[in-house]
Amino acid sequence: MGGIVKVDKKEERVNAARACITTIAALAAFAANAQTGKPSDLADLSLEELANLEITSVSRRPERLSDAPASVFVITGDDIRRSGATNLPEALRLAPNLEVARVDSRQYAISARGFNNTIANKLLVLIDGRTVYTPLFSGVFWDAQDTLLEDVDRIEVISGPGATLWGANAVNGVINVITRRAAETQGTLLVAGAGNLERGAAARQGGKLGADGAFRVYGKISDRDQTSRADGTSAHDSWDSGQVGFRADWGTAAGAFTLQGDAYRGTIDQAAAGDIRISGGNLLGRWARQLSGGDRVQAQAYFDNTGREIPGTFEERLNIFDVEFQHALRAGSQHSVIWGGGYRRADDHVTNTAAIAFLPADRNLRWGNLFVQDEIALRGDQLRLTLGTKAQSNPYTSTEFLPSARIAWKPDASRLVWSALSRAVRAPARLDRDLFVSAQPPVLPQPIAGGPDFRSEISKVLELGYRAQPSPRASYSITLFHSVHDRLRSVEPGPAGARVIGNEMEGKTDGIEAWGSFQAAESWRLNAGLLVLDQNLRLKPGSGDTSGIAAAGNDPRHQWNLRSSLDLPGRQEFDVMVRYVGPLPSPSVPGYTALDARYAWQFERGLELALIAQNLFDRSHPEFGAAATRSEIERGVFLKLRWSL
Amino acid sequence: MSLRLCALVVSLAAVAPVSALAQVDRAAAETQIKAAFLYKFSGFVEWPPKAFTRPESPFTIGVIGADELAAELEQIVKGRTVLERAVVVRRMRRGESVAGIQMLFIGQAEGARLAEILAVAKGQSVLTVTESEDALAHGSMINFVFVDDKVRFDVALPQAERGALKISARLLAVARKVLTSS
Repeated sequence: MGGIVKVDKKEERVNAARACITTIAALAAFAANAQTGKPSDLADLSLEELANLEITSVSRRPERLSDAPASVFVITGDDIRRSGATNLPEALRLAPNLEVARVDSRQYAISARGFNNTIANKLLVLIDGRTVYTPLFSGVFWDAQDTLLEDVDRIEVISGPGATLWGANAVNGVINVITRRAAETQGTLLVAGAGNLERGAAARQGGKLGADGAFRVYGKISDRDQTSRADGTSAHDSWDSGQVGFRADWGTAAGAFTLQGDAYRGTIDQAAAGDIRISGGNLLGRWARQLSGGDRVQAQAYFDNTGREIPGTFEERLNIFDVEFQHALRAGSQHSVIWGGGYRRADDHVTNTAAIAFLPADRNLRWGNLFVQDEIALRGDQLRLTLGTKAQSNPYTSTEFLPSARIAWKPDASRLVWSALSRAVRAPARLDRDLFVSAQPPVLPQPIAGGPDFRSEISKVLELGYRAQPSPRASYSITLFHSVHDRLRSVEPGPAGARVIGNEMEGKTDGIEAWGSFQAAESWRLNAGLLVLDQNLRLKPGSGDTSGIAAAGNDPRHQWNLRSSLDLPGRQEFDVMVRYVGPLPSPSVPGYTALDARYAWQFERGLELALIAQNLFDRSHPEFGAAATRSEIERGVFLKLRWSL
Repeated sequence: MSLRLCALVVSLAAVAPVSALAQVDRAAAETQIKAAFLYKFSGFVEWPPKAFTRPESPFTIGVIGADELAAELEQIVKGRTVLERAVVVRRMRRGESVAGIQMLFIGQAEGARLAEILAVAKGQSVLTVTESEDALAHGSMINFVFVDDKVRFDVALPQAERGALKISARLLAVARKVLTSS
């Protein structure tokens, strides 16, 4: 074979406006006809329109295409590549509806809609359907969550309650990391990079698996230098890590199967005692089947093992087994129903020390849930009401109910008004119930114990959102929210001079999340995002809490970001992101503005060299924590070579 | 750049809180798009008169090893015509004659038997469409590929010419690659 006369770059040259209208129109057409169950309208598109249709967009449950009544920001794989991020938390900085603050070489405080903390506990984080927050404190150990970023398809960041469909911890948001199917990551990819703060290398190999299957395997290693405190002393937190993993997908729509897994280890220096060691592995299987009439069923099961040894503090080995089932069906012309259930079991084994203990040291935890959601077309595609609830059992309290009601009004194809009312629950974690911390004067004059009567934290959230695409070049989204919280965690006086964890805090959070995108020219795109937060928490009358509301989180009143993505001739790219994070009140952290830039040149097909600079505005700045324990985040320069064969 | 903007706009508009279901939806969407393409191809290819047994013969699309796609295609062609003829989707088995067929889709499920099936259609006025790597080398005329989350296709002109099929320039313009010599 030979004589390739053209490798079509046509759509890259096609006018942005036209391509966009095309896709939107195509999706609208698809969504409209999906109601009748006839796929014929796709055939009414032109060849060009068909060739421009993105599968992921089409593949959504069709009636949801243009009217997801939620505050959703999507970080695409391309956004991640252009950001120069080298780990998941850094990539999450792209989402305007997330607060991302780095504490030191490996620790991050990440949250949505307030309550940010290194033990932030109101987010649900999923990697390819696997829940990664720990039952220890219902938060995420970010140093143990990694994947090959080059293989990430997108990260969906949903701020606000997502509990009905997702899980009990989705009080303030859901982060859903989705990697590409193995069929989309064929061939060899080699990535290597080095900079003044970190170095890393990764390799991935994809291949076919029989007639209708594909697989990939990957491995990555990285090492990060220690960080420093403001006074110049070392934080002793240098960090080496390695991870390997695989993913295989088989089958067709009639029956698709996915098997994937990862194994990782990491070593982190610490000033006292020996090194912190983390390790773990997981294996997940997912089966999905498209039934006649548009119905779908999916079943998923996984096993997840994580281990953490912090010499002198505590050790943990945790085994999680999780299985879930979903069925989506259409009932009549007006109702789209999804129902399902899940069971999760965790066997937690902690080796306690004199300083910190979880009692009992070994604990089996079980969760179960059943959910149903009905989306009702009140007036065709224009007005839709979504009602749903989830019943969730947890190891500590009685069954919790997580209902939500959402309404979406779409006056025309380019505008959407939505509103939602939800009740979300943060069920107790081991930290709330089983913790014992010895008195450590003068820092901690009295011991702290988990509260045997600690109950779930409750949030009731009202949201109002508007999304529009006033021109083919511009789009934006604005969400207003009002959350009322009750039974938040506090530390109350207990027997024998101890302090006991209780539920005596309450309050409300109001805020605005807004972002937009503007295609200034064919090769120049601008993005902007804004977050405004007003959190008012207080202790209930009669509370004897001494930790204060600062323990609940430390949030800026506003943050914003601006991104520019410019394509230059000769396959060059130039990206800039400026982000501002306002001052944090307690412990006080000054506000900062950071400038990140990336220049990349694809000097040969498949071979790209990128120079990434982070924090260009200042030599270093702190982002989170008290001055004594936080690190300064330094200016970083990183050179990265990416070779796809 | 246009794609990136589109991806963003569409993502913003399209994301549903049910993406755990996306995996299966994806495969279904891919099938639907391919079925739509097959129907559209008929409008951009010229068949010689001898391709039809009788003047009133229906336009027949054969499908092998892709039942889901055949089902989609049956929905699409319901009530539609091609070249002023009724359209029939025929689910075929390996080894079956391609007489009376104008278009033949061979699904990935056929795997290694692809070459064998293509050999049967070789030199006939049957537009062969596949979705397997290297299918063009085995004699397929149009092969679907997966590029940037989109369904695209490559075209091998010599094979089509051997079957006395004329493929329109507009179809070639949408193709990702066009092979002009074998």
